[in-house]
Parts: sequence; C-alpha cells; structure tokens
Amino acid sequence: MLKTIFPTLTRFRFAVQVLMLFVTVYGGALLGTYTVDRISQALPSLACAFDKQTGDHCILIVTQHQLHHRIGEALVKAQEITYKVFIPTLISVGVFFSFFFFLNKAFCGWVCPMGTVQEVIYRIGRRLGRPLKRFAPENVGMVRPVKWLMLLVLVLGLPLLAGMGVADNEFGDPYCQVCPSRIATTLLTADTEQIALRTSTGVNFFLGALGNALFGFVIIAALAVRLPFCRICPLLSWNALFQRLSPMQLVKKQHDKCAKCGVCEKACPMDIHEIGQEHGRKAFHEDCTLCGRCVEYCPDDDVIQIRFFGIPLFKSSRDYYKQRVKLETPEGLPKNKVIWLTQAKENRNG
Amino acid sequence: MAGAGKPAAWTAFPMLKIRMGGESRERRMVTIVPQGIVAGSVDAYSNNAEDARGHRQLPLEMAGARLDKPESGGFHWLAAREEQTGEVRVASTVQFFSDRGGKNPAAMFMQQKHELEIIPQPYPREHSRYRANEDWKFLVRFNSKPLANQKVLMETMNGTRAELVSDARGVIMVRIPDDFKAEEPKKTAGGHDHGRRSSDFVLATEHAEGGKNYLTAFNASYGTDAFYQRSLAMGLGFTLLGMIGAVPLLRQRKDAKPVATEATKDGDA
Repeated sequence: MLKTIFPTLTRFRFAVQVLMLFVTVYGGALLGTYTVDRISQALPSLACAFDKQTGDHCILIVTQHQLHHRIGEALVKAQEITYKVFIPTLISVGVFFSFFFFLNKAFCGWVCPMGTVQEVIYRIGRRLGRPLKRFAPENVGMVRPVKWLMLLVLVLGLPLLAGMGVADNEFGDPYCQVCPSRIATTLLTADTEQIALRTSTGVNFFLGALGNALFGFVIIAALAVRLPFCRICPLLSWNALFQRLSPMQLVKKQHDKCAKCGVCEKACPMDIHEIGQEHGRKAFHEDCTLCGRCVEYCPDDDVIQIRFFGIPLFKSSRDYYKQRVKLETPEGLPKNKVIWLTQAKENRNG
Repeated sequence: MAGAGKPAAWTAFPMLKIRMGGESRERRMVTIVPQGIVAGSVDAYSNNAEDARGHRQLPLEMAGARLDKPESGGFHWLAAREEQTGEVRVASTVQFFSDRGGKNPAAMFMQQKHELEIIPQPYPREHSRYRANEDWKFLVRFNSKPLANQKVLMETMNGTRAELVSDARGVIMVRIPDDFKAEEPKKTAGGHDHGRRSSDFVLATEHAEGGKNYLTAFNASYGTDAFYQRSLAMGLGFTLLGMIGAVPLLRQRKDAKPVATEATKDGDA
C-alpha cells in the first residue's frame, strides 16, 4: 500500500518534507505554545526562531548567541577560561548531534523548510518551462567555498568579535540577519515583521538589506536553479563537519559504466559531479543533502545505496530506474502536464 | 533590606522587579526585588514540579531574593505575599531561564498558588516577549474559579492607565499600549537586550470574600511595537531588487535545446 501511495522515493521524501514544514513552521501553533522549548533548540535544519509559531529552531542562532554572550564576553574579561564557559555550547552541539547522528545530511534534504520551499519553487519552474541552469564541474568549485566562509565569518567569527567588543553589538547574530529562511518561514505564518527592514543602525540596515535581497534572489532563482541557497548555506558546512560520524551514509561502489553514463550527476540537485566520477568516500560529497535522487536515477543494480549502520535502506535498481524516468527526467522535468509558456506564446503568434 | 517593600515610583501596586545576574551578571542567576509589598520571602515555582527544587522559598537578603537556574531551568513563577489583618496582597511575575527539553509550563502556571490570581494565557516563550500593540490574554480567578465581570487595572511605567473587565470565562484581553515617548532617550538593558527599549506593566485586581480583602498583581516587562524602527516598504524594495537580479536566470536562450530532448536520450540509457 505504501508503494501505491509513494511509488517513488522522491514522492515519499516530498511527503516528509511537507510534514516537517508544518512541524518546523507551524509546530508551536499545532502542538502547543512551548513546543520549541521542549524539542531541541539545536535542529540541524533552517527552522527559524524568529517564527513565533515554530516547533523548533536551528543550532546556528544558539551558536551565535553563545559565542556573543558567553565565550566572547568571557575572553574580553580575561576570565579564567574554564570548561564551564563552554558547557552551554557543548550541550547545544551534543543535542544537535543526538539528532544528526540518525539522519546525517538528510536533515537538509528531508527536513529543512528552506530546502522544501526551494524545491517547490523549482517544481513550479519546471511546470512553467523555465530553463535549467546548472554548474559545470569546472565552475561549481567557485561556489563551494562560500558556505565555509558563511560559517566561519557570519556564524562563528563576527559573533565572537561582537562578544569581545571588537565588533559592534549588532554583529551578535549576523547570519540570522541575512538568512532567507527567517523571511520565508515567517511569511508562511503571515508575519511581515521579518521582511520589514530594520532601520535603527547602519549595520542593521546593511545586513537586513542584504538578507532581503538574498531572499528575493533565491525565490526567483529557484525557478531555474536547483537549491540555490543550499549551496552557500552555513548549515550545510556545519553538517559536513559531522557527516562521517553518522551511521547514515551514501555509498557508491566502483562501476565500469559510470564514466560513460553520468545520469546520477544530472539528477543531483546540488551539481555534485563527484557522484558520477568517483566512488567510496569521495562520492559522498560535503554538499550532499541525502535526497536520494542519485540512487533513484542510477540505471544499474546496487551501485549507489543509502545505508544505515551498513544496512541498505534504499539502493539503485535498473527496474526502478526504468519506471522512474517515465515519470520525470533526472533534472526534474515531469513527463506530462507541462505548461510551456514559450510554446503557448509561439502558438498565439502563429 | 534596602529597596525591599518600597513601592515603585510609577505605581502603588505591588511588584516583583527582576534584575539580571549577580555581581558578574551571570546569566544563570537573577535578583528579585519586591516593590510595594513587605514579604519575608519570595516563592519560586519551576515548571518541573517533581524536581526537588520545584518549589523553593527564597529568603530576602539585602539586595533582594536570589534565584539561580536549578538543574531543571526553564519557566519560574515568582510570588511574594503580604498578609495583614483582613488583607492579603500578592505580587507575581514570571522569570525564564533558557532551557532545553524542559516541561511545558502551562500546568505549573495553572496550579493554584494563592486565592486571587492573574495568570497569563499564555506567557511569551523564549525569543518572544510582550510588545506594544499586541493582544495577550490573562485569566482572573479566585480559588481556582474564574471571576467573571471582574475589574482589572493596568498601569505602565510610561504612564498608561487602563481599566479592563473580565468576560464570562474570567479572561481579559490586554492590548499592550504603545506608549514609548519618541523623545525619550533609549533605555538599554545592557548587552543582554541588545539595546532594545523596554518598560514595565502591572495588572492588578481586588476581591473581597470571607471578611478579607484580596489584592493580586502580575507584572512583566514589554518592548516596543514589532515594527518600531522597521520599514516594510524598504524591506519589500530590497526583496524586489534581489528578485530582479535573478530574472536573467529565467530567460530561455533561443538556441537552447529543451531539457526534455536530452532526458529522452537518458531514458534510453
């Protein structure tokens, strides 16, 4: 019966994403006002604390606050830097890892509300016949370091400097001010507070303007580019630090036909070309969100698998691949009911 | 006990004023100063009733009563009680310590602690607070029974005075007033509140029963309106700018092959 309702992994994943969207965006309203205080406050996904109805929020806001208010202030006061200063941060990381341990990067591909929003917009873009823009192997390397810069500068560096008094206090949570999820998730609850720009100080204005522009760019770019923000998301790099420590792994075996095939590369929404060209650890790249599309679109049996404690949860299969491509191309273009805006225009012009 | 018992300058109603931290502004401790009420101690109820420190009586010292974050952190209901012949006065407030996995405090809030009570329905959770122009509900009850048509007075540090009446279910809807003066210098609360403007309000009501007069007050802080120093127009403008920046990505090149053609070939792989 499950296979009837969810004939493909993608559809099952989409159902999970929608459910998690409701939990993360509306969870407080559905499950109780204080739900956020009862779950983790260290979620490995971009669920936003600024959303007044959120069911949980991401670890990045906690990290910035602790660097700003605890560690940074302790350093500048020349207090004895004991274990006690780092305890709250260690607890937050511990809670984060207790969730991350089980799902690894699947928090990105299955839980993150911002990821879900981008994928929905991309599906709309396919229906509207928008072109697909991808990063070629020689170009994708220019984008990948950005997520590490976001993590090191916005999440870790500036809040620490603000706590030490080197940077203005407004740099206490700089990543939150530019994060598109803050605006996306609050708009989903009909709250316009976060899309309104803070004008109190120059720093607030600058960060807010950057955040709003980034949000606007992402929601339009998502019509043509798969997961545009995920590529530079600091939570992707944060999660990448721990991805080898989880029993949930993407495993790719060496296979002779890979060099001539390349379908998994086309299917990958993060343009991870290594999935087609490499095998073993290199194939499970730091940008992977464990969406499983490479597994779905591998035309050979057992070459790519998602495993949990070594047990395959889902593996590539030729029969599955044949059924899959009948419904949708590797790039996500549905094989039916496509609205071609350009084609309609051509028909009107005769 | 310096400060203890003296009323606040702006209201005659009893209040519990919270001051962050001890000498080193440690975030795990607050000092509670009763104002307008003479009490020997402050009762602290945490949202983990089973904990050995679920209900504590905090002695009043020189600076006030100290509340530290126990193992079970989270929400704390604080109350001071003054009892004299024929009169009972209670001041209440809520203190929140950041907590993870703590129990839902709603049951603790509803647990009867005094005869006459004003209980927030709900109290703002972490990353939230009372703010100007927002509506918040409070339950007024006596011996756990809702008091209908009960007069409740609201006073704020900024000078607002209002009178509310509870409905048939004993609930009052309080609109936090937007009474921050434009010319007023910024009242910061140090680095903890990121320089946000803050004021205090108190809700108070009286009820006579069994030959005694009961007065209870609930106080809390509130901030400016959500859109204070925010511009929706500018926000939308920069969002639009970003959207325009992405438009070139949507253009179909005239010489580009449709993706469907490439996919058909893939389907035959």
